Amino acid sequence: MSDAATTAPLAGVRVANFGWVWAGPVAGQTLAFMGADVVKIESRTRIDLTRTLPPFGGGEPGPDRSLSNHACWAGNGSITLNLKKPEAIELALQLVAECDVVIENFGPGVMTNMGLGYDVLRKTRPDLVMFSMPAAGLYGPLRDVRTYGLSLTSITGLDSLVGYRGGPPVPVENAFSDPYNGIMGAFAVLTALFHRDRTGEGQHIDYSQAEAVMQMVAPAYMDYALNGRVAGPMGNAHPLGAAAPHGVFPCKGDDRWISIAVLTDDEWSALVGAMEGPSWATEGKYDTTAGRVAAADELHASLAEWTAGFDDRELAERLQSAGVAAAPVLNVGDLLEDPHYRARNTFIEVRHPLGFDETIYGKYVKTTAPTPDTRPGPVMGQDNERVFKDLLGIAGEHFDNLVKDEIIY
Amino acid sequence: MASAALESIKVLELGGMVSAPFCGKLLGDFGAEIVKIEPLDGDVSRGWGPFPGGQPHSEKSGLFFALNTNKRSVALDADDERAAPAMDALIGWADVIVHNFLPGRAEALGLTFDRLRAANPDIVVVAITPFGSSGPYAAWKGYDLNAFHLTATGSRYCGHAGKPPLEHGTFAADFYGGMTAATWGLGALYGRSRCGAQSLDVSCAEAIAATFVGGQNIGGCAQDGRFEKRTGVGMPLGAPATILPCKDGHVWMLALEPGQWNGLARAMGEPDWMQLEMFQDMFTRAQNSDAIYPLIEEWTMQHGKFEIMEKCQAEGVPVTAVFTVAEAAEHPHLEARDFLVELEHAELGTVRTLGAPFKFPSCPGGPTRPAPLLGEHSAEVLTSIAGLSAAEYEELCSQGVARGVRQGGTQ
Repeated sequence: MSDAATTAPLAGVRVANFGWVWAGPVAGQTLAFMGADVVKIESRTRIDLTRTLPPFGGGEPGPDRSLSNHACWAGNGSITLNLKKPEAIELALQLVAECDVVIENFGPGVMTNMGLGYDVLRKTRPDLVMFSMPAAGLYGPLRDVRTYGLSLTSITGLDSLVGYRGGPPVPVENAFSDPYNGIMGAFAVLTALFHRDRTGEGQHIDYSQAEAVMQMVAPAYMDYALNGRVAGPMGNAHPLGAAAPHGVFPCKGDDRWISIAVLTDDEWSALVGAMEGPSWATEGKYDTTAGRVAAADELHASLAEWTAGFDDRELAERLQSAGVAAAPVLNVGDLLEDPHYRARNTFIEVRHPLGFDETIYGKYVKTTAPTPDTRPGPVMGQDNERVFKDLLGIAGEHFDNLVKDEIIY
Repeated sequence: MASAALESIKVLELGGMVSAPFCGKLLGDFGAEIVKIEPLDGDVSRGWGPFPGGQPHSEKSGLFFALNTNKRSVALDADDERAAPAMDALIGWADVIVHNFLPGRAEALGLTFDRLRAANPDIVVVAITPFGSSGPYAAWKGYDLNAFHLTATGSRYCGHAGKPPLEHGTFAADFYGGMTAATWGLGALYGRSRCGAQSLDVSCAEAIAATFVGGQNIGGCAQDGRFEKRTGVGMPLGAPATILPCKDGHVWMLALEPGQWNGLARAMGEPDWMQLEMFQDMFTRAQNSDAIYPLIEEWTMQHGKFEIMEKCQAEGVPVTAVFTVAEAAEHPHLEARDFLVELEHAELGTVRTLGAPFKFPSCPGGPTRPAPLLGEHSAEVLTSIAGLSAAEYEELCSQGVARGVRQGGTQ
């Protein structure tokens, strides 16, 4: 831990994270995983919604006990500042002066209205990298569009592609775009740090979450750009219709499924071999990709009849040994038991400062560089003394008064 | 004009399809120099399309175009030992090697960390695989769909109960893994003066299983042994929060907080039922969703999606139209932001492709050069960077180990 503070890839990079809910905190977390010192600025005057989400550690509600919050915010430190008070804004500016990076994911203009706009911040820290990540960017007709993380994808075209073929769009039931944008946000910050190190210049990054998500729409977008075709919900089909079978098929048990994707004729032969050459599969019409794609519905129905007799994991092993890309479709409960995720320490048990143990995700990219131990998301204000006293040099009595006056709050 | 942020970074990209190319594309958008090694018959995605008019042509894949702007293509049979001197020179040249080979294939190509580090003591090696380069499934063959459904995303969040879990209508796991690789790879490059050579093992499945599904679900599941599954409703515990049909498509109907619910009531003309006490909080509304969703739908079915969006947004309600891909692409917002970029391509003509994912006021970003033809830069790269003489390059070509552009591509 203390080693990583000086030897990790981002050791020495300090980040003030004004981010809230999910995407902003993940941007900070990503940098923290690689060794940056990240503190979130929050306040007891408006406790972040995600701190109030159950389930809670030990089943006991409290803003420092939300298990999902501790996973999604892991790596961030926390200081508490009541930014409605001018003295708190002054302290925030003092902190920013010591930081390389500021992260925020409010709507456009919110930081400016608080007195923390880029023009103000750059005066205190001229080479500051400020990262803003509103839904649709800092300017343009949709600048002020209101979305939630789970509906932001609707303005990118992505939601129109999700659902069963021929049916209406089916909503994705959580904000896939939030952690995606948090991690890509860290990419944006790093890119700006490269620029700063070469030129001495900071900048204000205009990150539109929608434009970042649109990168994922590329397959369907290019079909529109080249052919004017507008795709609808795709089920589990190959997004460009270039392969079949390509789907999720039932297995033995309740809600058990296997994913199978056949991209080449060799893989098709391997699948036919694993099925021991049933007549429906060997009559010729499925011998080519074009033939399989043209009759995909019928092919999928026949394949589903076959898979339904097998255990998902046994069948995945069997198909893998034959050279077919197949894997069990996991549910949330399976994640903790899955031997692959266990071997990779994807999920780790950590001790929270309040004394309970909880499971969060660990360093999900395995690297050879030294990196800090993963700690759960912060207790509110856990870094107050370190930041205000040690970093900003505020004397003990002054600090106590700031706490008493609910400025550090 | 200012120089690009990553212009000093040299990237050697191998593999194909989506994950490694997307990683390379993100680095290339901000000025990194990308040399892409393709097998002699090209990146697999050259065969996937979409093709103009649906006519397959190895130089006309739209997906390949979108993922490979700002890159140089070298067509080289890296398995052939006669390619080894050129490969070694490129490995020595690179700051970072990005590939998406399974561990066995990477080893066969000599792309192991130990060997690469011996050849280039400061190298950063980024391996992007469906499941990860270690662990029981490391050798498993997997495509995007297999990786995606190993994350529990479909089971938890996407589809109807009792029906198959769904992918996101794209290569969601490959995009997510490629993006994660770009971020962590850039972090590794940033710390190279301190950390030296580094190896990164990126699992597309693990990145999503951890940060998306794990973040929200794993703590409760581990503590209480309980977990949830997909319902087909956007937010089953609060309402309204789901996609509803309207006159000309669909809207994402969201009005959870009291102010939003009142705003929705104003947009809908203050119907009496919305004032009922039992409908004043999002939880009781959700418990009565069988009653309220049809009532809201009665209203949405009389209006267009953009009309509904505009009315609701004006009242402070976060309702949005479910944009089709065409509506997303043609929206004046993207035009005002110059998001889409037109580039000229030798076979495709003018292509309007997706721009950079974010804007840097102080330095340029985004696609400036079209995706390369297969082997378009073989001669240039192999004779300059890899140091072959023109004669040596010609010999590799005549031996069938390298190739330049073939006229007309392959049909």
